[in-house]
Amino acid sequence: MNWDNREDVLVFVEQKEGGAVKVGLEALGPAQVLAGLTGGKVIGLVMGEDNAAAVDKVSVLCDEVISVEDENFKDGNNDALTYGLEKIVEKVNPAAILAGNTPLGRELTARLGKRLGLGSAQDVIDLKTEGDQILWTVPVYGGTVLNDIELKTLPLMATVRSGAFSKPEEKQKAEIVTETVEVPEEEIRSKVVDSVKEISEAVNLEEAKVIVTGGRGMGSKENYHLVEELADLLGGVVGATRPAIEDEWVSRDHQVGQSGKIVSPALYIACGVSGATQHVTGMTNSGYIVAINKDEDAPIFDVADVGIVGDVMKVIPVMIEEIKKRKEE
Amino acid sequence: MDILLCLKQVPDDSVEIYLKPGTEEVDLDNVTNVVNAFDTYALEMATRFKEAVGGEITAVSVGPEEARNAIKNSLAVGADKGYLISDPAFENADTLGRSEIIAAAIKQLEDERGKPFDVIFCGREATDRATGQFGPQLAETLGTGIICDLVDIEQTDEGIRGKQETEEGYHLVESVTPCVVTVNKPPYDPRYPTIKSKMAARKMKIPVLSAAELEGAEAGEPNVEIIKVYEPAKREAGIKIQEETVEDSAVKAVEMMAEAKVL
Repeated sequence: MNWDNREDVLVFVEQKEGGAVKVGLEALGPAQVLAGLTGGKVIGLVMGEDNAAAVDKVSVLCDEVISVEDENFKDGNNDALTYGLEKIVEKVNPAAILAGNTPLGRELTARLGKRLGLGSAQDVIDLKTEGDQILWTVPVYGGTVLNDIELKTLPLMATVRSGAFSKPEEKQKAEIVTETVEVPEEEIRSKVVDSVKEISEAVNLEEAKVIVTGGRGMGSKENYHLVEELADLLGGVVGATRPAIEDEWVSRDHQVGQSGKIVSPALYIACGVSGATQHVTGMTNSGYIVAINKDEDAPIFDVADVGIVGDVMKVIPVMIEEIKKRKEE
Repeated sequence: MDILLCLKQVPDDSVEIYLKPGTEEVDLDNVTNVVNAFDTYALEMATRFKEAVGGEITAVSVGPEEARNAIKNSLAVGADKGYLISDPAFENADTLGRSEIIAAAIKQLEDERGKPFDVIFCGREATDRATGQFGPQLAETLGTGIICDLVDIEQTDEGIRGKQETEEGYHLVESVTPCVVTVNKPPYDPRYPTIKSKMAARKMKIPVLSAAELEGAEAGEPNVEIIKVYEPAKREAGIKIQEETVEDSAVKAVEMMAEAKVL
């Protein structure tokens, strides 16, 4: 492939509350694959108000870190972040630009795509090379169909889905380059004037090793406590389907599925979940799937390693007792 | 507030879409086209905004003649005017191309009206390809501000203030107008048209804007090529436990989980 004298792969690693976002670190994985083809470096780009913690994380996963620190680049100031990314891209002249498929990652790549006339692959779940071709796998129609797409413009640009790639092995700390980008005032059209946290506990489904999800079959908010109890017992996080959220049994940040989080824990327990594609798309990459449903024809059983046909209200309490017993042994 | 609303028709997202067996062709034979769900939220939010602050809504859609239905539906619930942007030359436009085409149409309409639109509403993504690129790219093409993922909007002295949904809650974002906003699912549902409003909408004229009338509207060469279309590998179903009693089933399941070392 003709890289037009471009070598390096630039990865925008988003920050949240002073730390690197996991999917941003995961994007360094496919970046390494691309850098193997171009013969260049993987450069992690961190932009924000206080980059220290994120830079620390990124520096052991790539070949160089570019840190751009300024209060202009605080969370939510997307006009400044777009401008900053554009300037760094001009400077680095990368062969590819990657980011996590978060709301920010989507917006930045879309805007940069327009500014530089680039095509982009969004929500990538796999990266393949066939001969001279680089193919990006993206889901369409909610994930029932996949497309392998080829990008016709350079630099290549893509956002990757959370959990689809592994972050690279840690290695020696990379060189950290500090850059400054002055953002002209006229670039800033919109500003975050307030950030409100409605949800007190941080729900980290993407990094959870164990997720216990309750669906419509749980029946009520009271019954949902069983899901929470099982999750607690296993040191896991509570997940939810859309109906459970619409009925306000749990807050929306617990949602797993196409319109919620895409997760890949080692153990996923689906309680009273029927298995609509919308939901299954979000959890099918879990290591081990356990499903409990009283309907033996529920589609969730098609993806479960172990399926228990039975009433969740009877099954979960027994499971909890059994697991407790084993823990004591 | 003068509002412009972008609508897109997509295959009904409540239907699961697969390929025709043994082909790379998506089977859309029995799937009707509907207005993209996020665009219906945008229509509802725009309508509420208009009701609160005054003004009018102009709806546009790029697509074949059939896309006229999308505009007609919007006229029956809140939009005041509608235009169909249609030309065979626009058929293969990708997101970037569509944003160029709609931007050209917006400029054309603004010239005719003699004033700009204040807020341009669109859905956060289309349910078919879900790339979420259209809104931001339209804003870049028009050179306006952009706020994504709004669940609420209000007017300020200098423009608008929007509630942008985040993982933990929301950002309050202020922008000068003109501004493009993309809409996420707000805490309310889109309203339904009445028989009366449907009848009225049916009588309204929806002019067509074609390539000849739109300066600079070009689909351009697509920057992305689809090489292969397929269905994801199915995960293999494991064991279904249905012992005599539910208790036995639960005990056995925990045993299997322990054996698989996932506990």
